[in-house]
Amino acid sequence: MTPLMEVRNLCVETTQPPIHTLLHPVSFTLHAGRPLTLLGETGSGKSLLAQAVMGTLPPGLRARGDVMVEGRNFLALPARARAKWWGRHFALLPQEPWHALDPTMRIGAQIEEGHRLVAGRSRSAAQHATDQSLMRLGLADCRRHLPQALSGGMAQRAAFAAARTTEAPIVIADEPTKGLDSTRRDEVVTLLREALNERSSLLAITHDIDVARQLGGDIMVVRDGICLEQGEARTVLDAPRSEYAKRLIAADPRHWPAPASPAPASAQPVIEGRTLRMKRGNRVLFSNLSLTLSPGEIVGLTGPSGCGKSTLGDILLGIITPDEGHVHRARGHAPLRFQKLYQDPPAAFAPHWTLHTLLEDLCARHRLDRGRIPLLMTRLGLHARLLQRQPGQLSGGELQRFSILRALLLEPVFLFADEPTSRLDPITQQDTLALLTDVAREHDCAVLLVSHDPALITASCDRQVVLSG
Amino acid sequence: MTTTATHHRIPLLRLRVPLPRARMAGALLLALLIAFGWLVPLWHDVSPHHQDLMHTLTPPGAEHLLGTDPLGRSMLGRLTEAVRLSLGLALLSVASAAVPGVVFGVIAGWRPGLVDRSLGLVADVVLALPGLLLVLLLAAIAPGTFWSLYVGIALVLWVEYFRVVRTATRTLISAPQVQCARMLGFGPGYIFRRHLWPELAPEVTTLAAFGASTAVLAVSSLGFVSIGLRPPTAELGLMMTELFPFYQEAPWLLAQPVIMLFLMVLSFQLLAGREPQ
Repeated sequence: MTPLMEVRNLCVETTQPPIHTLLHPVSFTLHAGRPLTLLGETGSGKSLLAQAVMGTLPPGLRARGDVMVEGRNFLALPARARAKWWGRHFALLPQEPWHALDPTMRIGAQIEEGHRLVAGRSRSAAQHATDQSLMRLGLADCRRHLPQALSGGMAQRAAFAAARTTEAPIVIADEPTKGLDSTRRDEVVTLLREALNERSSLLAITHDIDVARQLGGDIMVVRDGICLEQGEARTVLDAPRSEYAKRLIAADPRHWPAPASPAPASAQPVIEGRTLRMKRGNRVLFSNLSLTLSPGEIVGLTGPSGCGKSTLGDILLGIITPDEGHVHRARGHAPLRFQKLYQDPPAAFAPHWTLHTLLEDLCARHRLDRGRIPLLMTRLGLHARLLQRQPGQLSGGELQRFSILRALLLEPVFLFADEPTSRLDPITQQDTLALLTDVAREHDCAVLLVSHDPALITASCDRQVVLSG
Repeated sequence: MTTTATHHRIPLLRLRVPLPRARMAGALLLALLIAFGWLVPLWHDVSPHHQDLMHTLTPPGAEHLLGTDPLGRSMLGRLTEAVRLSLGLALLSVASAAVPGVVFGVIAGWRPGLVDRSLGLVADVVLALPGLLLVLLLAAIAPGTFWSLYVGIALVLWVEYFRVVRTATRTLISAPQVQCARMLGFGPGYIFRRHLWPELAPEVTTLAAFGASTAVLAVSSLGFVSIGLRPPTAELGLMMTELFPFYQEAPWLLAQPVIMLFLMVLSFQLLAGREPQ
């Protein structure tokens, strides 16, 4: 079997002195029909590797080494010659397809354009090919739709069809499943497997172990710009050799230790929703739904995307009023003690101020004891120097721990955690979630934890509520 | 890439990163113009209105640095007055347009419904009139006065602030960061200060720079067609009209207000940096 692409000693470094090596030399071979997955956390250099292969590194960085495609060193080509290979030899699947589609152009036309202009087919052949691909992806009715009329999954399939018009042999997918729930994620993986045949192959970049497992083929584990381990997917995932790969795989919620024995439900629930009913448009999200949370209890909330998990939490917090039913809060708690953790940690902070300023504001507003901040920071494993930074300069995990800290300052009795770790890397996710549940139990705070991952909920909650949608 | 992104993300009042080069040049040019308008008269005391019919149309020289006009008035004196007038009017009208524009914009963006719709209606009515026409109308009501120009220009300019701020506020107010701030018990004042203003400030300052250049141009266009301020006021557009008949004998005279106007508009355009989103 001849390799599609052979990468030898590829490394990425800064062009300006002092020269930093951001990605240490890696070598791998991509064979037709056999996907290669780069597995690693955010900032590990795996996206840099994809950019280096494509020749799309941002200014200030350069790649060295060889990328051999069809017997030629792609990296040695001048930039303009390389651009000609894009779309024909390489196809890039965008991370967020609905941003990659032209919002003013109909789906059919966007795909047809690729067939005509890049693949060089005649008008009628392009139309035929477009129809074929739309049919195959179950989008036959969407030919004349604008992207905004499509659901997220459909947009993803449409973007896939547009990227595959030339049947470029090397498909690169950078975090194709970021922020998707498990059902949608499986759909995308199925879609990616479509790209595999005797003439083409896939280079996937992900932090999701499940995706790596489902894709099969080969795996490279990358951390801090160093390739720690590479080999056949099943071997690496089932019997990792490097310490980091072991931790990474242990951080898969399926491998988490069983939860501690549930806290005894006290007689007095802290918050209670009674016969709640909510409609969105013509669809009933839930009706006659009742749930109670006792102090210190961690309750999981799962269900497919769009089934009203966030809505239910917002109803309990009083942000949204339900169509029917009502929410009863235990007496004697200030409204401030009912707090929320957000899915995307940076989105929950004012981006222009240091964390010190923001926490200071909070303490000043409610006359809180500032002395608790250092204690809580130690408890949450946050270094004091982070206080002087702005939210954007912190990692997602650190920032989410700061939002836990911010909530804890208000001595919460109920926390609605809306997918608090879904944007974090597996190891960070495990650490953050363990901290959240531990700290909540210590403070006798009830937590309603939303996740699309049933394994995660089983491993970290006392009991769970499933919304069917 | 990230550095350029942060430039206009930093509120103007707390500049920590240097402005990009073009905006730096704009600020410098504006500072020079201000110095010209306000500082030059301090050590070179020449009245812009003092006529000396024995020395008309003199070329620039030791006695009259920039020469004299057909009535023997010092061009230096007249230019400094014209710059003071244009800049003063521009800054004044920009300030009085920006403040209500931002205030109403935030209110409308924050409170959808009746408030938003009625403020939007007023803005649309103002917008339906061509800007210069509104200024002309007011100039016709009270011809030749400073305040009619000022009110007219401010009335035209505030709509832009209103519309930009309203749209930006609407998106920001529904963002998780604001919802979160509310949950943490913060009031509207705090949300404006910490969440809205840092996002709005770059847009507002860019608009202000564009607005100032619009105002400068509007004043001189009206002066040029003799609808704006009246002689003997030294005003750039008016000066151009007055000096136009002498462009063959004394081309340096006509060039002076033209160059001055060009520099003023250039400084504001450089300062603005980019088109508002």
